[in-house]
Amino acid sequence: MIRFENVRKQYGDNIVLKDISFHIEPGEFVVLIGPSGCGKTTTLKSINRLIVPEGGKIYVDGKDISKIDPVQLRRGIGYVIQQIGLFPNMTIEQNIGVVPKRLDYSKEEITKITKDLMKMVGMDYDQYANKYPSQLSGGQQQRIGVLRALAASPPIVLMDEPFGALDPMTRTVLQKEILSLQKKLKKTIVFVTHDMDEALDLADKIIFMNEGNIAQIASPEEMLNNPASDMIRDFMRNTSISAERLDLTAGDFTKSDVVTAYKDKSIRAATDIMARNKIDSLVIKNDDGTYAGVVTIKAIRRHGKSTGTIGDLKPYENITASIKEDAKKTFDKFYDSPDNFIVVLNEDNTVAGFITKSSMAIAMADTLWGDM
Amino acid sequence: MDFSIVWEHLFLVFMSVLFSLIIGLPLGVLAYLKAPIRKIILWIVEVLQTIPALALLGLIMIVFGAGKLTVIIGLVLYSLLPIVHNTYIGLQGVDSGIKEAGKGMGLTQMDRLISIEIPLAFPMIFTGIRIATITTIGAAIFATSVGGGGLGSVIYRGIRTQNMDLILFGTLALMIMAIFFDILMTWVNKHLEKQV
Amino acid sequence: MNFFNIYGERLISAIQTHLFYVFTSVGIGLLVALILGILLSRVPQYAKIIMPILSIFQTIPGIVFIGLLFLILGMVPITVITALSIYAVFPILKNTYTGLLDVDPALIEAAKGSGMSPMESLIEVELPLALTSIFAGLKMSTIYTVNWAVLAAMIGLGGLGEFIYIGITSNDNQMILAGAIPSAIMAILLSLLIDFVSHLIIPKGLRRVG
Repeated sequence: MIRFENVRKQYGDNIVLKDISFHIEPGEFVVLIGPSGCGKTTTLKSINRLIVPEGGKIYVDGKDISKIDPVQLRRGIGYVIQQIGLFPNMTIEQNIGVVPKRLDYSKEEITKITKDLMKMVGMDYDQYANKYPSQLSGGQQQRIGVLRALAASPPIVLMDEPFGALDPMTRTVLQKEILSLQKKLKKTIVFVTHDMDEALDLADKIIFMNEGNIAQIASPEEMLNNPASDMIRDFMRNTSISAERLDLTAGDFTKSDVVTAYKDKSIRAATDIMARNKIDSLVIKNDDGTYAGVVTIKAIRRHGKSTGTIGDLKPYENITASIKEDAKKTFDKFYDSPDNFIVVLNEDNTVAGFITKSSMAIAMADTLWGDM
Repeated sequence: MDFSIVWEHLFLVFMSVLFSLIIGLPLGVLAYLKAPIRKIILWIVEVLQTIPALALLGLIMIVFGAGKLTVIIGLVLYSLLPIVHNTYIGLQGVDSGIKEAGKGMGLTQMDRLISIEIPLAFPMIFTGIRIATITTIGAAIFATSVGGGGLGSVIYRGIRTQNMDLILFGTLALMIMAIFFDILMTWVNKHLEKQV
Repeated sequence: MNFFNIYGERLISAIQTHLFYVFTSVGIGLLVALILGILLSRVPQYAKIIMPILSIFQTIPGIVFIGLLFLILGMVPITVITALSIYAVFPILKNTYTGLLDVDPALIEAAKGSGMSPMESLIEVELPLALTSIFAGLKMSTIYTVNWAVLAAMIGLGGLGEFIYIGITSNDNQMILAGAIPSAIMAILLSLLIDFVSHLIIPKGLRRVG
């Protein structure tokens, strides 16, 4: 559908695209991603000739686009930009009708298209069609921006960070909508973003660019599992919360100030320790320091006598987690358990620490928002 | 050629702009502070400038008679618009964060106006003064018609007597004067902007 | 009322002459300014040099043009109309140019990306968005022109200035009022008219919405 062959673009001495080549299949949702200045937007804008490369060839639908009149080319390619770019002097219907009108669609056809498209994104035609862009919220405006690009049913739609200026809530909603539109309409979509989450959620294929080169072309799963370079791995970690969470283990959330006691401690001494530390459970270790279980104040009371060692009590089998365990697995286990904390064990089965529900919440909040 | 007439013209312009500033600045501040009367103030100064200068001078002459007083009153009214307007726009345009900070430090409204807002708005106000000066240089040619003298008298006499030299002298003097003040004041303005 | 019996007809013809000067000059000025403004906005790199030079015309008092042209063309209406037209060009030119340049580049890119030709983009997107600014310039030009048109009387070419001049020289307050009031009203009415027309023409979507 779209093919780049050794495409090169430079401004003076600054080479922004270094002979890049790739191809996009019909109906594919391709996301171009990379750090700023990597050439992703230049690549996108070369497709509808808003930018003309110095070298190489770009084919759309098998045709060399340098030989097509740019105006004609663009009428066959939908285009959505971050700044939305709805024409403030035109109504919503006129905005959606910009391209169809140029392709000599009748007024009735344009109205029908507008109605159908607006229905798809859940906007009422009678309520909105005659409004002006300034009367709509940002999210509604960008919905119309997307619809305008789709109006003349172009097989290809280019999107340049279309949701970059929207708040996170609206953004998520619009991402879902664009996916469902894509499923229905089977467009070839080329989408630029710098947000890895967005790329992972939307793409069939991610093209990762860096300094004018293509660093990796892969499906989201493959890119997550086998990033081609440390640079890509770092990028995914830095820009993407969900990617980062995958790397975290139970150890990252463990509090090490756990109060423990050996099995041979007397029950009286154990009760003392619990009272002093204001806790109702005690982690019990075997003689070799490995984890033996947990005794609770309830169990001691049930035992009835203050003589003997805590080894005489039947230890409670609290849930445990290995320190190397994927944090997500640990949390899932924790959620499903009635226990108040989870004991984290080192690989040699000694006690590393514990995680409580509140420490988990605090640690997650730190990870999610701490660096922002 | 009598150069004293050039000074006379400049005197008229200078006095008019000065009084226009004395009246216009408080009006601009008032428009900024008091929303209800803002529209009325801005509307009145706009209408004043809409009236042709000669018509305005003629009307004032009916009350104050011929002479420099009439000219200056007329030109003051005529040049109020850019000064009032730019004072208002300038004050309005001061960064709201800075205004907030002033408020937060416990400055009174008067304090804030004098020590923060007017100094920050001054380049904009000065632009208003520049526009008023240039407009007044042109409008002051009507002074001669109401007995105020100035370069208008030279041009007028030149036209009546078909004297090319007089017309040339009058128009060139006016042109140079206008361009000189425009360039000078634009230059000053740039320096003011740098300071702010 | 005696005044109107004697001067009524002359007053009406003076108003007509005045309006004729204003409409013709502003009309010519508007046409020239729009064309120049659009052309200059296509080549901003040159416009940056040309605009400051043209802005000097704005600085020069209107009488200078009338005075100089009087020397060249003599006592004919074309002198007044040429002088006033030159004077009328600049405010409209400047506002057309800045209005077009102020159009959000994202919108121009969107127009381009939607497959509009440069001409379509100009007519359907850029000019409508610059209208507010263009009308402000037109209003300024009109007010200036009404003002400077009183000078026509200075070179004996009629208009409302005639009444004012006669009134002033003969100390006849009635004559002054007969010239001053209609010219003031004319300027105010014309500026209201332009506001009204601009309200009709400027696309609704550009008005501030609450």
